[in-house]
Amino acid sequence: MAIEESPEIPREWLEEFEAAERRPLAQRWKYAFIKTYKPVLDDSTYRSFDSTAEYRRWCAENLPSWLGYGSV
Amino acid sequence: MAAFEYRQAEEVRDALRQRGVRYLFIGKSGAILLGYPDTTQDADLFVARDPANGTALVAALRDLGFALTDVQAAEIVRGKDFVQLKNGPFDLDLVFAPDGIERFEDAYARRIDVDGFPVCHIDDIIASKEAANRAKDRESLARLRAFRDYWKGRHSRPC
Repeated sequence: MAIEESPEIPREWLEEFEAAERRPLAQRWKYAFIKTYKPVLDDSTYRSFDSTAEYRRWCAENLPSWLGYGSV
Repeated sequence: MAAFEYRQAEEVRDALRQRGVRYLFIGKSGAILLGYPDTTQDADLFVARDPANGTALVAALRDLGFALTDVQAAEIVRGKDFVQLKNGPFDLDLVFAPDGIERFEDAYARRIDVDGFPVCHIDDIIASKEAANRAKDRESLARLRAFRDYWKGRHSRPC
């Protein structure tokens, strides 16, 4: 499929979207899912929160900021 | 724990369908199902909050090999807003009240079917990430919005 120029979408992203669309779903999934250890987050097998706000607060207070889970 | 394999995603889809669970893939895993090229570590499921659906979900999770205690199962049946599962063959986040989406029924009506996977509409995925306003989402939103434009150009009508 030919790459079409778009005034809104940067060409590099457009090429990535086009390439992804050509891949079967199973292959897209394989390329997408990676596993790396995330400190604190991966140190418990189960967590639950009564509210999403409580979860967000827990992330902000307990996770390293570089993981990016804190609100901005 | 190894990465979440596509075979396992199919097992989730099939187990939840067999138990009649009403849910949607949301977050980056949902976007990836729609065709968005990016990486992630776990799947997020937006689950309809009602006791019967929660009971069906617990049964499906146990079918899949999640080691849920009775207390944990009760919390899922009750539909706590956010449940993080790392006690099974892969990681799953259960989201009963995602930021930016008022009602499950509305999102369900807008859902997209991808090979039998029920997926939130890209507009809902973006709305949720915008409302969550996390640093990691802010960094990826511009590209995700560009993908929305691309995707809508390819799919003019939701199913």
